[in-house]
Amino acid sequence: MKLGNYEVKLEKRVTLRGWEAAVISIFAILFAMAVFSIIFIRAGVDPLTGYKEIFSYAFLSPFGLPLTINRFVFLLLCTYSFIIPKKAGLWNIGTTGQLYAGALSAFAVAFAFGAKTSQSATLSAGLVIPLMMIAAILGGAAIGAITGFLKGRFNTNEIVVTMMLNFITYWVVARLIKEGGLFMGASGEGDGFKLPESIYAPLIKDVPFTIFIALGLAALLYFLFARTRIGYQIKAFGLNPAAAKYAGISPFKIPLLVFIMGGLMAGLAGYHYFAAVPGLYRITKNYGEFGDLAFYGIICGLISQGDPLAAIPIALLFGGLTNGGRFAQGKLKLGFGIDYALLGVLMITLVAFQFFYRYKIVWAKTRKESSNVGIHG
Amino acid sequence: MWEFMVRSLDASTIFTIAALSELLGQRSGVLNVGVEGVMLFGATIGFMVAQTTGSYLMGVAAAIIVGGLIGFLHGFFSITLGSDQVVNGMGIWILGFGLTTYIGYPYTGPLGMERIPDVAGLSPFFFVGIALIVIAWFVLFKTSLGLKIRSVGENPSVAEVSGINVTRTRYLSVVTSGMLMGFAGAIYSLDYNPVWSNDFLMGWGFIALALVFFSMWHPFILLGGSILFGALWQLSLNPQLVLPDIMSRYIWRTVPFAITIGALVLMSTKWFSTRWGAAKPQALGLPFEKG
Repeated sequence: MKLGNYEVKLEKRVTLRGWEAAVISIFAILFAMAVFSIIFIRAGVDPLTGYKEIFSYAFLSPFGLPLTINRFVFLLLCTYSFIIPKKAGLWNIGTTGQLYAGALSAFAVAFAFGAKTSQSATLSAGLVIPLMMIAAILGGAAIGAITGFLKGRFNTNEIVVTMMLNFITYWVVARLIKEGGLFMGASGEGDGFKLPESIYAPLIKDVPFTIFIALGLAALLYFLFARTRIGYQIKAFGLNPAAAKYAGISPFKIPLLVFIMGGLMAGLAGYHYFAAVPGLYRITKNYGEFGDLAFYGIICGLISQGDPLAAIPIALLFGGLTNGGRFAQGKLKLGFGIDYALLGVLMITLVAFQFFYRYKIVWAKTRKESSNVGIHG
Repeated sequence: MWEFMVRSLDASTIFTIAALSELLGQRSGVLNVGVEGVMLFGATIGFMVAQTTGSYLMGVAAAIIVGGLIGFLHGFFSITLGSDQVVNGMGIWILGFGLTTYIGYPYTGPLGMERIPDVAGLSPFFFVGIALIVIAWFVLFKTSLGLKIRSVGENPSVAEVSGINVTRTRYLSVVTSGMLMGFAGAIYSLDYNPVWSNDFLMGWGFIALALVFFSMWHPFILLGGSILFGALWQLSLNPQLVLPDIMSRYIWRTVPFAITIGALVLMSTKWFSTRWGAAKPQALGLPFEKG
């Protein structure tokens, strides 16, 4: 395409630098938000007002900010759950199912300690909380391991398997919290039982302690992929499984390992949201919405290009956008599902923008014909 | 029992058409893991249009059009831009799931129109599904167009050299595929279960995707698999009709998904793939670049 004396061309990228990826991501997010304005306009709301409502509730309001942070921790853990297998070139669409399993395992521990019998039961927090967390991690990892094992052993398509496991665990949760299930709550309205106050997760300024785990994991994962042998092996497998095999990297162990790790992170996310976030402390009847929220982990993972540190600001942004979106939806009467719609728009925008990870637009001054004179004499 | 069989065949129709659409795209080398998303678009838009206009025909037409548009979008990303088809499909699915939740929400509830009349006790779409299977088989294996589609899915470079326009053939397949996915979605929301709620497909599209892998990319095997899964799905919804009081109804709901995993594992074993694995289109999921 020619514009005056300049020519606009697409050029294939040889490498993609970190800052280039960041610029593309920022453009993608801005573009998606611009497209999303249509939804505000359709509802008769000025987009600027809409975004102002969302951001001021999400990040400045004393009510909204803690909710944003809770979502941020959840999304960050979901993001890890996605990016670890992605480093090995594998798709973990099963964060949802893994986090359900994690939540169920955590509540199974509480149940075993008699938490269901009474809201005022005094349980030893120092014992039960760590056990609940360990159970959540193991539960998530176990579901992840199914996919990893099948991928490693039989090369079974991990997308279909993780998705199937999402549906399976979804119905298992329903079985356990509804219609006389083992974990059914006292109210009989479809929620799971509520944890006794004695084992509420400790809060630091209204924020569950899990935030430190989530942030610490970012550093740990960064170190794992940047400095360790196993991190290198995972990445090598992701780049070229066949070549990795010749380098002595097991095509069985890597898928198994990354899905166990991914499931573990998801399990922790399940513990965090259902057992540590103030106001919940139970598997709610609308647990499916939290499962859906986990899909933001895919988006965060794709935007951060698998970098656990870059995932932090992105998860914070989306934690705020989804939380503020819910608020704005009520306040501006936008209709249910703003956060879902944004999820969709963001995702498809990212898909479109991934083109720019491979190509760049270059502006070149068009050479005048006369510049060839030297060659042709 | 009769009622159960009828409902099973109705369910199988949706699997048949959804899976057939995916098969068509995959035969041309384009993988779309977002079947569920396109179906959600078709189901939701079809429902909205039918309710607003009071016409089933308009609803189905709208679903087919929107499906075709989404198919075109997938084609644009996968064929023209040559981006990773799995990412694109995921995008299509999450777009469908997210956006339809929002736009369909005001329409939550029953369709409130007179049911589409039966043909010999069955949904008329059942016969449409059978016809589409036969047509697809005929086109794919008995016509030159089918040869073109299959060859761009197997070896696009050779196809291009022998004078086949790879891009055009793939677009044709992918757009047609999207239209059929939208149609399958509309059958769900207008005929099989005419009550809108968000994300109400709950896995139909993903099972349809798995069915294509089971079918060895052949329409007739696909039809058999769809009928089997239709019965299985119906059983999971109404176990009391056949096997009363065995498991919780929630656990029954997990059965089709568990069996899908089992079947998929069987398909991926060496024993299986060395015998029948060759059916997979060689260029599936790979973008084609000229020159």
